[in-house]
Amino acid sequence: MKILPLNSSTATVRSLVLASMLAVVLSGCASTAPEPTARMAVAEAAVQRANNTTTNENAPSELLIATTKLASARQAVINKDFERAEQLAEQAQLDARVAELHAQSEISRKAALETQDAARVLREEIDRKTVR
Amino acid sequence: MNTRLISLAALVATLTACSSVPDRNAELDKAQGRFNMADRDPQVFTLAAPELKQAKESLALAQQAFSAGDKLTTVNHLAYLASQRVTIAQETASSRAAQAITAGAGAERDQMRLAMRTNEADMAKRQLALSEQRNAQKTSELAQADATALRDQTRLQMKDARLNDLEAQLKEMNVKKTERGIVVTLGDVLFDSGKAQLMPDGSENMAKLAGIFRNNPQHTASIEGYTDNVGGANANYDLSSLRAKAVMNALISLGVSPQRLSTRAHGEENPASSNSTSAGRQMNRRVEIVFAPHSGDLSAK
Repeated sequence: MKILPLNSSTATVRSLVLASMLAVVLSGCASTAPEPTARMAVAEAAVQRANNTTTNENAPSELLIATTKLASARQAVINKDFERAEQLAEQAQLDARVAELHAQSEISRKAALETQDAARVLREEIDRKTVR
Repeated sequence: MNTRLISLAALVATLTACSSVPDRNAELDKAQGRFNMADRDPQVFTLAAPELKQAKESLALAQQAFSAGDKLTTVNHLAYLASQRVTIAQETASSRAAQAITAGAGAERDQMRLAMRTNEADMAKRQLALSEQRNAQKTSELAQADATALRDQTRLQMKDARLNDLEAQLKEMNVKKTERGIVVTLGDVLFDSGKAQLMPDGSENMAKLAGIFRNNPQHTASIEGYTDNVGGANANYDLSSLRAKAVMNALISLGVSPQRLSTRAHGEENPASSNSTSAGRQMNRRVEIVFAPHSGDLSAK
């Protein structure tokens, strides 16, 4: 920074202060977040855990969302867009959980249907026996 | 002055762009709508209360960010998280509901199976009891049949014994078995010639006969008189009749029921032997006591 003459300096100094403030604000608006290493690790683990046979069979689209988002998060890290990376990682983590739960509820639903069916068959058998 | 104004304007513009304060946020609205739906769902409300609470807190964060004028991406991000939290609550609830159904259906099935087993056991028990009853009945019937058979056999044996007895008793006397029954012949020694009066010597034979009647109370007898061909046929007929009656009266006097006795006169008919010799004529002069094989009527034969 140049040393300016004192008498004409007041306005210039103020302008500089404002400019630096503006720069600060602008940089605040852009990504100043640190690299979300921990968040990324957690998301990686969550997606990896969700990426199993059960989930692949029962919640493939939900799992795809999670893996895709994790890939986006990785890309964001590469692009140094850490804030976006952090968000995407957090979302991927929840998406993985959603995929797991969806698979679980699908399995439970099928099991319930099977048991109800078995119960119905048994009831019919009993009815037949009683009639006899 | 000019620069200052420009700087201020730039600052304001930047701040405005950064905070982006529209009235609504579509993502947030969507998350709010989804949360409301889940919150009204009794299944989610009951079965996934903690997850629903997390969704509510997540939604509140998004709303705070929106109200604070945070960046659109931040608000959208938080709204998305809230929305996914709602999904988690819903999935958890439906999973638990299905599990409850499975458990319930399993329990119901177990109960049904138990009921069926109990029913089957009861039925088997009933059938067993029934068959036991039937067996008992059959046994009782068999026993009864056995008893009947035994009685019949005893009766037969008794009859046989009685018959044997009768035969044994008659053996001592002049006895023939004929198709008319057992025939006891009393010779003419009982009577004086031409008379129907029993001789005292015959009383022993008469007593024996009476004894036979006593021992065989079911037997009836026909007392039949015969003569030789000496004298007129009519006279001989009358004589045979009188002699038969004399024997009957003697038996009655010895205690034989008159109902069991009948007489018949044959005269010279049905000679037992030839009348041409004295020995033959003696054989023809006789009284026969014919015991009916059963207690039937002899005259019918």
